[in-house]
Amino acid sequence: PCWRVMIALEEKNLKGYNQRLLAFEKMEHKSEEVMKMNPRGQLPAFKHGDKVLNESYAACLYLENQFKSQGNKLIPDCPAELAMMYQRMFEGLTLQQKMADVIYYNWKVPEGERHDSAVKRNRESLTAEIKMWEGYLQKTSGGFLAGKTFSLADVCVYPGICYVFHFGLCEERYPKLAAYYNRLKDRPSIKASGPPTWLENPQGQDMLKDI
Amino acid sequence: MRGQGVSHLSRLELQILGDNTKMGWGLLAPIRSQTVSRSLLYNRRLPHSSFTPYFFQHFQPPSGLTLPSETMAKDMTLLWGSGSPPCWRVMIALEEKNLKGYNHKLLSFDKKEHKSEEVMKMNPRGQLPAFKHGDKVLNESYAACLYLENQFKSQGNKLIPDCPAELAMMYQRMLEGLTLHQKMIDDITYNWKVPEGEKHDSAVKRIRESLTAEIKLWEGYLQKTSGGFLAGKTFSLADVCVYPTIFTIFRFRLCEERYPKLAAYYNRLKDRPSIKASWPPTWLENPRGEDIMKDI
Repeated sequence: PCWRVMIALEEKNLKGYNQRLLAFEKMEHKSEEVMKMNPRGQLPAFKHGDKVLNESYAACLYLENQFKSQGNKLIPDCPAELAMMYQRMFEGLTLQQKMADVIYYNWKVPEGERHDSAVKRNRESLTAEIKMWEGYLQKTSGGFLAGKTFSLADVCVYPGICYVFHFGLCEERYPKLAAYYNRLKDRPSIKASGPPTWLENPQGQDMLKDI
Repeated sequence: MRGQGVSHLSRLELQILGDNTKMGWGLLAPIRSQTVSRSLLYNRRLPHSSFTPYFFQHFQPPSGLTLPSETMAKDMTLLWGSGSPPCWRVMIALEEKNLKGYNHKLLSFDKKEHKSEEVMKMNPRGQLPAFKHGDKVLNESYAACLYLENQFKSQGNKLIPDCPAELAMMYQRMLEGLTLHQKMIDDITYNWKVPEGEKHDSAVKRIRESLTAEIKLWEGYLQKTSGGFLAGKTFSLADVCVYPTIFTIFRFRLCEERYPKLAAYYNRLKDRPSIKASWPPTWLENPRGEDIMKDI
């Protein structure tokens, strides 16, 4: 979610914004500073003047709406691409959820409530979801999620796709997803905002290598 | 009762009546007349399955007159289920944008019709709503709502405010609405979705506490907002997307005295034409649901 907002800010040429990197491991997302801006104690916490937008999709939609005429256009004019953009954007939330259910299982579920059957089911669900996205990228001709141009769908979903590869998803098994992931890696807005902790350790855990 | 008077007539019979007789109201006067809130002249495409009376407004427009919104809507198809907040969102948006006469089919979750071939063809996820405009598929309710407002900006009611502060608030509440919806779903569906061997009282308790905290947060939001709508002074996509969930929570008997601002919002918008016109038909027969949430 944080990365989405940063990509959107870069795409709209909004540089020089105040920003602070906080550590989840040190529970800084529950600090007073964050709680003041986001009572949910979650990141990102984003503000423009007195307008608070702590939901990453809300921030991205707001930025494109308000800064339409600067930077790159993130909402296509073509109705077919527009519809595809919105559809993929919101399906991206499902991908994120299924990914989180697998990757964060042990943090979210108390020890006494964990079951191998649940872990298995979550993995199967994520596998089916990833296969669906591989299919989407086979069908799309333009190289981007909505079609021929980079859009809010890519802003919102790319970070998640990057995440699954960071956790070891097999590139040979999902060639279209891998091609998309590799192709966008060097896009300026994405390169400029890539998670700093991943730069030190580009290959994270291999939790998803068998998916 | 509801729907009995018309549902036995086949689609073809109804169409013949309309095309040939040029009668004003025809034989299809709605049984629950208080849900008829508009008197626009338009020609409805008739649904495939038997349906509730307030969609049977069978007007015969003067010959040659076809409203642009009707032409647009003819290319739209919605597969939906009664009582599903995501389906309801899309229907409210269509009403707000004056998009009438779209093809629609009411399907039954109980009969697993959401997994039927017809649905799977339009939505491989086997979920409702499944919505299409021409060859553009929008099965995510938020995607459909945003698309409709973007494409039909100049007709019906404006659903995205111009004021930046209201706009920001609209997007923020819209997206937070997904959290509210998810927590509600987690609470309501625990018993069906979680296999027997994986159920835990501790999980039920935690899910209920999470929903309670979420509802309190929304009560707080409505205390702070001065305009009466989620984004401020005007009805917006935030209301389109979140109202159905709030309505569902009260249907499950959330205590109105304990959450007065939420209750006021819920009651105030109940009679908004777009909301009244698209009210889940199965809830009309049975307005009071189970009291799952009365202790929240």
